[in-house]
Amino acid sequence: MPVIEVTNLHKEYGRVTAVDDVSFSVEPGEIFGILGPNGAGKTTTVECISGLRAADGGSVRVLGLDPVADRDELHQTVGVQLQEAGLPDKLQVREVMRLFASFYRDPADIDVLLRRLGLAGKAQARYKKLSGGQKQRLAIALALVGNPRVVILDELTTGLDPHARRETWGLVEQVRDQGVTVLLVTHFMEEAERLCDRLALIDRGRVVAVDTPAGLAERTGGGQRMRFRPSAPVSDAELLALPEVETVTRHGAQIELAGTSQLVQAVTSLLARSQIIAEGLRVEQTSLDDAFVSLTSHMETAKEN
Amino acid sequence: MTAMTVDTAAAPARLRRGLTVKGFFALAAMHLKLMRREPGAFVTILLPVVLLTIFGSIASAKTPQADLGGRSVLDVYVPTIAAMTPLMVACTVLPGAMASFRERNTLRRFQVSPVPPGGMLAALVSVLAAFAALSVVLIVLLGTLVFGAKLPPNLGAVISAFALGFVAVIAVGMVPAAVATTNTMANGIGIPFMILNFFFAGLYIPIAQMPHVMQTIGEYVPFGAVMDAWSGTGALWQHLAVLAGYTVLGGLASAKLFRWE
Repeated sequence: MPVIEVTNLHKEYGRVTAVDDVSFSVEPGEIFGILGPNGAGKTTTVECISGLRAADGGSVRVLGLDPVADRDELHQTVGVQLQEAGLPDKLQVREVMRLFASFYRDPADIDVLLRRLGLAGKAQARYKKLSGGQKQRLAIALALVGNPRVVILDELTTGLDPHARRETWGLVEQVRDQGVTVLLVTHFMEEAERLCDRLALIDRGRVVAVDTPAGLAERTGGGQRMRFRPSAPVSDAELLALPEVETVTRHGAQIELAGTSQLVQAVTSLLARSQIIAEGLRVEQTSLDDAFVSLTSHMETAKEN
Repeated sequence: MTAMTVDTAAAPARLRRGLTVKGFFALAAMHLKLMRREPGAFVTILLPVVLLTIFGSIASAKTPQADLGGRSVLDVYVPTIAAMTPLMVACTVLPGAMASFRERNTLRRFQVSPVPPGGMLAALVSVLAAFAALSVVLIVLLGTLVFGAKLPPNLGAVISAFALGFVAVIAVGMVPAAVATTNTMANGIGIPFMILNFFFAGLYIPIAQMPHVMQTIGEYVPFGAVMDAWSGTGALWQHLAVLAGYTVLGGLASAKLFRWE
């Protein structure tokens, strides 16, 4: 049985449709990502799953519970980290943790949790005195304080420096390793690629694709891209004559080629035949980034037509 | 039909909805802590004590005066000063606290916890009520036992008027508390209402020295009505009805307007 099941979710604010038609299901123990451009309806979807908003259409079930009708019970077993949830400046970290722990039937050990999140040294510090990264980690600690079976993390690493971001990712993996199902909202490709077992790509209130990060990347053709400086001139026509080459772009002495998954092999053997050396060669696989751009912009042109 | 779909392994034997007793006291303790750390919070208790001490130390304030209906200045000012803490907490502390919670999205944090955010509001009002009650008792004891002011004859009526008066101003204070997103906005509504009540409670001029029209208007202002109940002016049922009216109107308006975000 899926842990989270969203079926034809629809939500409007006045006349603006925030979520048009979103369906996906999250299996136990996975890190499931919701990825999409700003304003795609990610946060609204998560708010409906968290019981913060009632859906206008469709249904949402989390551990078999209706997030709105059964919200008190839902929040016993589902931890939520919100994008912005400021706490009173003058409360200390430990006081905040104790307060929230007192709401749960089976709270986590506060000291263990603070240590795991690297906040043990800040237990006596007031909320106001915490850095952005520490506040974010406290928000995660609060999502975990009730020993949840599911955690929802919304824009987890926004505003964190790269170092803190990597640390936070490690933490999310630890949480998953303890058997907690994670729903992660993000607009960072790198984060989605690194953490998520599966992803739902959302654009304009609709699910564009649900797949593994690698599966999504392959959808754009699984092509390759390469850049090099030829040791002797080579014409565009020669390159384009290869079936593997799709585009040729010149940046001064540099040539950038995009094409199929056989691109590099085809081009290097052509160059070898002409005894041209590819200097400063760099090769890239199409990434989730490319999938994101092509899948979401595809939607855009489809809508405009 | 939701119950049918609940995974029995996941669902507890009994659902415990919302706020537990333990959670409530934890929230109340949080509000107390926050008030203790707010430099201005204890002014609400200290200021009336200081004022009463000044009045109580003036010898002439204890002589009965004809234009106060045979009562002394101190007799007249004990209930007025006792009204200050209830008014300050209801009109400024309550809306200010809710505005700052709303401003920082703290209310959303509670919305995703098992405690309904209403539980937090209930804990806040309880702490403020305890604050107000403590201050009123302190002022009345200090005024009568230490400085020798006369207690009103109808104690039952006075206690119920004070209690209902507090509920009425809390209900009105709940209106800015329901909507204000900044402290300035909360004070914009709360402070004028507080000053109005201060005035008709006789803080600036004793009620007995106000023109007749003003005295009549005062009967329809919450703490004006409470003062009349204290001094035994007019019909008690009318004063209690005025207070009940504010409670109902404020309660309905704030329930209608209330926003968690």
